[in-house]
Amino acid sequence: MAKKDSRVVDVTAQADALGAGVGGMTAGFAVTLRNMVRSLPGRNSVTIQYPEQRKPYSRRFRGVHVLTLRPDGRLKCVACYLCATACPAECISIEAAESPDPAVEKVARRYEIDLARCIFCGFCVDACPEEALAMTREYDLTTRGRLTELRYGIEELTQRPQIADYGAGYRPHMQYPLVESYLPTNLPPPAAASSPEAPAP
Amino acid sequence: MAVITIDGHPLEVEPNLVIMQASDRAGIEIPRFCYHPDLRPEGSCRMCLVRVKGFARLTPACATPVADGMVVSTAHHDEEVAQATRGVLEFLLVNHPLDCPICDQSGECSLQDYYMHSDYGLHRSDVEPEEKVRKRKGINLGPIYMDSERCVMCSRCVRFSNEVSGAGELQFVSRGNHVEIMAFEDRALQDPYAGNLADLCPVGALTSRDFRFKRRVWFLDHADSICPGCSTGCNVRIDHAAGHIERLVPRRNPAVNHSWMCDEGRFSYKRPESLPRLTTPRLRIHGALRRASWDEAMAVVQRELASRPPRGASAVVASPMASNESLWVLGQLARALSSSPHLEYRCLADPSPDIREDALLRRRDKHLNSTGAGWLGLGTAAGLEALALAADRHELARAVILHGAPRVGPNEPIRRELLSRIVRGTPFVVVMSDVAEDWGDAAHVVLPVAAWAEEEGTYTNGAGTVQHGACALNPPGEARAALAVLTELWAALGGPRYGGPADVFQRGLMQCAAFEGLDYGTLASRAATAYPPEGRMPYGQEGFAGR
Repeated sequence: MAKKDSRVVDVTAQADALGAGVGGMTAGFAVTLRNMVRSLPGRNSVTIQYPEQRKPYSRRFRGVHVLTLRPDGRLKCVACYLCATACPAECISIEAAESPDPAVEKVARRYEIDLARCIFCGFCVDACPEEALAMTREYDLTTRGRLTELRYGIEELTQRPQIADYGAGYRPHMQYPLVESYLPTNLPPPAAASSPEAPAP
Repeated sequence: MAVITIDGHPLEVEPNLVIMQASDRAGIEIPRFCYHPDLRPEGSCRMCLVRVKGFARLTPACATPVADGMVVSTAHHDEEVAQATRGVLEFLLVNHPLDCPICDQSGECSLQDYYMHSDYGLHRSDVEPEEKVRKRKGINLGPIYMDSERCVMCSRCVRFSNEVSGAGELQFVSRGNHVEIMAFEDRALQDPYAGNLADLCPVGALTSRDFRFKRRVWFLDHADSICPGCSTGCNVRIDHAAGHIERLVPRRNPAVNHSWMCDEGRFSYKRPESLPRLTTPRLRIHGALRRASWDEAMAVVQRELASRPPRGASAVVASPMASNESLWVLGQLARALSSSPHLEYRCLADPSPDIREDALLRRRDKHLNSTGAGWLGLGTAAGLEALALAADRHELARAVILHGAPRVGPNEPIRRELLSRIVRGTPFVVVMSDVAEDWGDAAHVVLPVAAWAEEEGTYTNGAGTVQHGACALNPPGEARAALAVLTELWAALGGPRYGGPADVFQRGLMQCAAFEGLDYGTLASRAATAYPPEGRMPYGQEGFAGR
C-alpha cells in the first residue's frame, strides 16, 4: 500500500490577508496573549504549583516500595529472594538468616532496595508469594547523592509515614482498599503526619 | 546383548541392566526419587512406573531387568503411565508443606521439576493445608538439617548410610502417612560422609547446614573441578557467586568417586578464606620486603636467575598442590637454571600420622597432585629434609619455591620449618605462594600466585588418573596464575613461549611418557560430562543380578 500523502496546509492566503509587517506580528501576539490569559492560575491551567499542589495519580501507580508487616509487627518477608530473582535492574539485595522464632524458619536480616537503580516495574511485587512487598504512590525522591542515599533498608521501607499522604500504589489484591497491615503499626496518627504543605490526595 | 524398545527407540544394552539404566543411556528421562545410580535399587517411590508390553500392570523401571525383545513405553508418550505418575505425585504432595520459597532445595528439587513437567506434571493441588499430616521440622543433625514434612520416603539417605558410608545412622520409623526418617535421639551425625545426604536427597528434607540460606541455587555459577582435599581427586563442582565459593558438590565419576565426597573435602573451600592471602609482589630493598610492581619484581628475578652464581647449587621446591602444567614448567625452569638442580616437593615426615584415611575416599596424602609431581621427577627420596640440610651448610646459591597451602589436614609445622631453613640459608630465594606465611618473609622476592580454583589445569590423583580442573574465581589483588609467572620466567631464561595450560599440556607435558596419549581438550570435556556412566555399574554382578 502506498504511503498516504500528508496534509499540506497552505497559509499563503492567510498571510496575504494579514499583510506584511505589523499585521502578522499582531495576529501572532494575539494568539500568545489569548493562551496566556486562558492558563492563568485558577482557570483551565495545565500548570500546577508543585510541590504545594500535586496531581492525583492512578491507584496502580508504582512508586516507592513498602515492606508490609504482620499484626505483631514482624516483617512478612521470608527472604525467598523471588523479588531479587524477578528484578530486571538487580537492585534488591537480601541477606537471609535463621529466625529466632521456631514457628518461622527464615527471615531477612538485611533487605535493601537501591531506588536509584530501581526502574519501578513492579515485578518484585508480582513475584512476592507473601504479599510482603507493595508499592506506594510516592514518587518524588530527592537526595544529595546517588550512591547510598537511595539505598533503602528495612528501616526505611517499613517506616514510611508518607503513605498517608500519597496513598497506596501497585500492590497485590488491588480490589481491596489499603489494608491496615500494609501500614507500619507505629505510624503516627494522620493529623500529625500531614504537614502544612501536604498535597491534596 | 539384549535389544529393547523404549518409546519406539530400539536400544542394544547389556542384559544385566534395569530399564532405568537403559533409558538413561539412551537419554530418555524417566522420573525417579528412590533410584540412584550408585545405590542399590529399592523400588519404593513408584515414580518410575512404565508400561512393558505383555505385563499385566505398570512396572517400576528401576527394578525391572531388561529382556530381549522388551517393548517399553514411558510417561512421555503413554497417557496411562503419565496418569499413574501424576497419581504418585499427588500422593507425595498431599502432606508436602509446599514451602518452596523458603526451602533451600528449591531450584534443584526433583519434586518441583516433576510437578511442573509438561508430560506428567500435576500443575494443581486440591488438598487444603488443614488436612495435612504435620511432622517434625528443623532438626539439627550436625552437618545436615532435617525437615520431615518435605520427605518423600525414597530411602536414598538410609541406603547411603547403610551401603556406602556404613554409618547406618538413619532409619524409618512409624507407618503409613506418619512414616519418618529418624536418627537415634536426633543426635548429630558422626558419619564423615554425611554431607552427601544433602546432595542425595531429591527434595528438601535433608539440606546442608553449611549452605543453609546462603544463596538461592539459581544465583550460583558453576565450574567443574577436582577436590583439593586429598590425593583421591574427587570430581567436584564449584558453586560460586560474587567471587566467593559457596559450596562444593560432588560430580559423578564412577572411576574415581562415584557420586560422593567426604566432608573434609566438601568444606575445604573454607580454609583459604581464613588464611592471609598475598595480593602484591614484594621485593627486598635495603634489607626489608617492600611492595613492588610485577615488572620490578620480575626484572629482579630474571636478572638474578640469568646470572651464573660462582659457587653453590640451584634448588627448586615444587608444590604438590600445583597443576601438572605448572609443575612441568617449573621442572624445565630448574633444568634451565642448572644442569643438576635440586628438586623437591615433599617432606618425608609429611603427612603426619594423625591424618584420617579410610577405604572409601579419604587418603592420607592431603595434597592434590603429589603423584603428578612425582611423575614429573620433581622429587628425590631424600625429601625436603636433605634440601634444608644443604641450606644449613650454605651449599645452595639460589632457590625457587612454589608453594600452595594445603586445604585439609594439619598446618604442616614440619614443612614450614624446613622451608624456613631453606629460605634463611640461601643467598637468593624467590617464593611464589598463594598465602602469606612467616617463613616467606626472609625471601628476596615474594610473588603472589593464584590458589586452587583460581587457575585452570590438570591434576594427577593417587591412582594415576589425570583430571582437569576449571578456573572458578579471579585471584585476589594483583596475584597471577602460577603457570603464567613460570612460563614468563622460563621464556626470559631462553625457553619457548606458551599460551596457557592447554598449550603447555599439548606442546610440553605430552612429551613426558606418563602423559603420552592424553589430550587436554578431552580431559576438559570429560570433566564436564557426568553421563553416560562408565566403569563399575552399581547393578553389576554383585548388585541386582546376584540377588
